[in-house]
Amino acid sequence: MIEKLDIEATPRTPAVAFDFANHHLKISGESYPEDVTEFYGPVFIALDNYLKKIGKNKCRFDFELIYLNSSSAKAIMMVMDKLEDAAKNGATVEVYWYYDHEDDTMQELGEEFGEDLESAKFHLEKMAG
Amino acid sequence: MLASQLMDLRSTLHTQGVIFTYSGYVTEPVLSGVGEALKQKLAIDDADTKTLRSVFAIFVEQMQNIIRYSAEKTETPLPPTGYPKALREMRYGILTIGKEGEDYVVCAGNLVQRADVPRLHARLDRIKEMNKEELKALYKEQLRAEPEKGSKGAGLGFMEIARRASKPIEFDFNDLDDDYAFFALKATI
Repeated sequence: MIEKLDIEATPRTPAVAFDFANHHLKISGESYPEDVTEFYGPVFIALDNYLKKIGKNKCRFDFELIYLNSSSAKAIMMVMDKLEDAAKNGATVEVYWYYDHEDDTMQELGEEFGEDLESAKFHLEKMAG
Repeated sequence: MLASQLMDLRSTLHTQGVIFTYSGYVTEPVLSGVGEALKQKLAIDDADTKTLRSVFAIFVEQMQNIIRYSAEKTETPLPPTGYPKALREMRYGILTIGKEGEDYVVCAGNLVQRADVPRLHARLDRIKEMNKEELKALYKEQLRAEPEKGSKGAGLGFMEIARRASKPIEFDFNDLDDDYAFFALKATI
């Protein structure tokens, strides 16, 4: 199994830092890629492979997104669904959604995603600074 | 002559408060480049974070609508192997960003098939009448739904625009001929 997935941020795609060995996963930055499937496809594959073997482990997922376009929102929802499924199957999943306190749209979006999480634990937090 | 022609065009835009105009084939690099300039201008204007993000978000959705759906397009008949997919096909549209008093306005226009007008009209009418709570509910519903036939995105673009706008969206269609109509969408922030 791969230990980690690291994708550097670009102006239009977020940084992905999946530290599978330490069960700490993070997506941060801006997301409005030209082709959502092309960017998120490999991220989904790596995440699926990790979650398949997570068992009863504890995992933390941080979302620190500044801006995402509407097609990226769909991709993020799919990530949330994967995390919820893993939690339903016995893993302890902590989801942190960090938002810029000056942008209530991103706060609301976080709330909307959080509403759909039952087994995974959802935390809505202001970004530092 | 040359200078006066271009100056006329510029002053027409200027009197309407337009700061940015792009008219032509829109590609993803155009979106990136104009987007960067827009962010810089908004920063210089000292726009607050919420306004900056909303103007930018609406700009992205409007540009991507043109790139994906404008009915006016040019295609390279036989692209060489390895030629980037996005360059095979380019779609035409016009986008302006300007100010009306204290508000920012982002307008986009492009051709659509007349056959698509009733469907688009109904969708936009519905979105236009909704308050923020209703928009939020519909957005969430659509996020879970399968994309509509013919949609190349998540089918959320118009809702994202309406949610980010501070006033109801405005739109209009102008029939061009038997097949095409010009579609214009305005969002105020």
